[in-house]
Amino acid sequence: MNIQLEPSSITFVTPAIALFFFSLVPLFMKVFRGNKEPSSFSVLIYSFLGLIVAAGLSVIFPAESSLVFSGALVFDGLSIWSNFLIILATGFSIVYAREHLETCHRQFSEIVFLMMNAAVGMMIVAWSNDLIITFIGIEIMSLCLYILIALSDEEKLSKEAAFKYFVLGSLGSAIFLFGIAFIYGGSGTTQFSLLKSASFELVSTSPVFLSGIVMTLLGLCFKAGVFPFHSWVPDVYQGSPTPLTTFMSTGVKVVTFVVFLRFFATGFLMPESSETLLNVMQVLAVITMLIGNLCALGQKSFKRMLAYSSLSHTGYVLVGIISMGLGGGYAVGASGVLFYSFGYLLMTLGTFGVASLYESRVGQEIYIEDLKGLGRKNPWVAISLSLLLLSLAGIPPTVGFFGKLFIFSAAIQNGLIWLAVWGVINSVISVYYYLKPIVHMFFSEDECMLSSGRSKQLTEFSVGLMATLVLLVGFMSSSFYEFVTKSVGQLF
Amino acid sequence: MIASTITLHHCLFLSILIFSIGAFGVLVRKNIIVILMGIELMLNAVNLSFVSFGYFNSSLDGQLMSFFVMTVAAAEAGVGLALAVTVFKKFKKIDIKLFETLRD
Repeated sequence: MNIQLEPSSITFVTPAIALFFFSLVPLFMKVFRGNKEPSSFSVLIYSFLGLIVAAGLSVIFPAESSLVFSGALVFDGLSIWSNFLIILATGFSIVYAREHLETCHRQFSEIVFLMMNAAVGMMIVAWSNDLIITFIGIEIMSLCLYILIALSDEEKLSKEAAFKYFVLGSLGSAIFLFGIAFIYGGSGTTQFSLLKSASFELVSTSPVFLSGIVMTLLGLCFKAGVFPFHSWVPDVYQGSPTPLTTFMSTGVKVVTFVVFLRFFATGFLMPESSETLLNVMQVLAVITMLIGNLCALGQKSFKRMLAYSSLSHTGYVLVGIISMGLGGGYAVGASGVLFYSFGYLLMTLGTFGVASLYESRVGQEIYIEDLKGLGRKNPWVAISLSLLLLSLAGIPPTVGFFGKLFIFSAAIQNGLIWLAVWGVINSVISVYYYLKPIVHMFFSEDECMLSSGRSKQLTEFSVGLMATLVLLVGFMSSSFYEFVTKSVGQLF
Repeated sequence: MIASTITLHHCLFLSILIFSIGAFGVLVRKNIIVILMGIELMLNAVNLSFVSFGYFNSSLDGQLMSFFVMTVAAAEAGVGLALAVTVFKKFKKIDIKLFETLRD
């Protein structure tokens, strides 16, 4: 292997470098003041400066689908898009973390440092063109997250959640890595762009390669929380401090979807080469949706209900990813997935923001019953939450509806009619538990006992902003979708 | 007379065996330290398979990758032990039976 380091390659990775250097600023401020926590507002400003610089750098160095660092990283429409999604998720999670009781106190600068480094890891995952680089990125991201969860002021649940996440995450990484070793053994390469030409044949001829593909898929399913490896998702989401749950369910989810896209784009899923694999993936997608929706029906805790609903949304996205992998509608499926990820990001940031807003004690759990009477107490938050929940349920004209529409139509174009039908059935089931909080908020005579405790203006503002965006993007969905398709089109 | 050359199959068999032992340790044992050891075993088994694939395909990439894996394994062990210390401080025990609060 002939390794050359062109100076031009460096320009492409500047967003990650900028994020890393700006993440050091709050930490150094703390060190130079003799381990005294700097004011949380200045930490917020520096982190936002870093995020804005990173976003600007990803605009300045646009990519015309180039491979850099000897093919280790790829820069195309998908990479740039995921940059923006990651920056969005990180920014709002930091805002929530600043105002949340469990994360704002003694160690806010460390928390911001770790969150921005997790964002660096996410960017590396989204850019990677090499399975081993994907692994490194996933590990940077996950190691930061394990520590972040355990850093919470809440002593019991967060430690349990951190440890569960650590053990299952490491198990998933190890399986993922074992898969990479077998893919390397079967094909002699781990780069997606080189696998693209080889994998179609190798899947049916080389058992070593096939077992590698299967194990890598299992590892990815672990990370994304796809059935049968979903059981950690509700536990970890419930036990973590809400701002970090937001971060995990937006950033980490989106990035895993990008890996799925890149991995499936190598084309091993073609029905001619591996029909069994295709069927198994379809069944997994359907069961993931069903498990998420059915378990969410009976939940009393608001956060746990949202965790199960995020499972079902993973199932919907998997439908889009499978139809992308089928080849025919390559770009159609990919842009559908990206559009859905963007919509899902907005909705999740909003709904978890409401949970973060009303947690006024350390370790407080918000139950769905607690939302009774919120419509009279704080009508704006109640209306925003209703919009976000309607969007999660997929009611037009919100972004959630159009996201599902694009994904399911991509599935139908690729002949996966039954998968689309299952998706629609599942969205009908989900309407029940998304409407329940809305009914509680507006049609109950009870007095609402929830209060935000301290002033949380920025969190409240973000929730409102998300609700507005959900409506706006929904109204402009067709032009927005065309924009996404155009920018992703450069990828393939 | 037994043929005395070591082939790719031998290496892979050993690596799969070690990987399974590690996975068994993670899934079955209750002690946090033993779980961490299981994770290390799994990652090292992967290293073995990387190196043997690289050797028998006569390319250096496999050995290169095992360096990445070693680094990550070290970082993971660091974080894992730190978590174990936090859990021990809180619960005065390192046993995953303590973790029963989060469930349906």
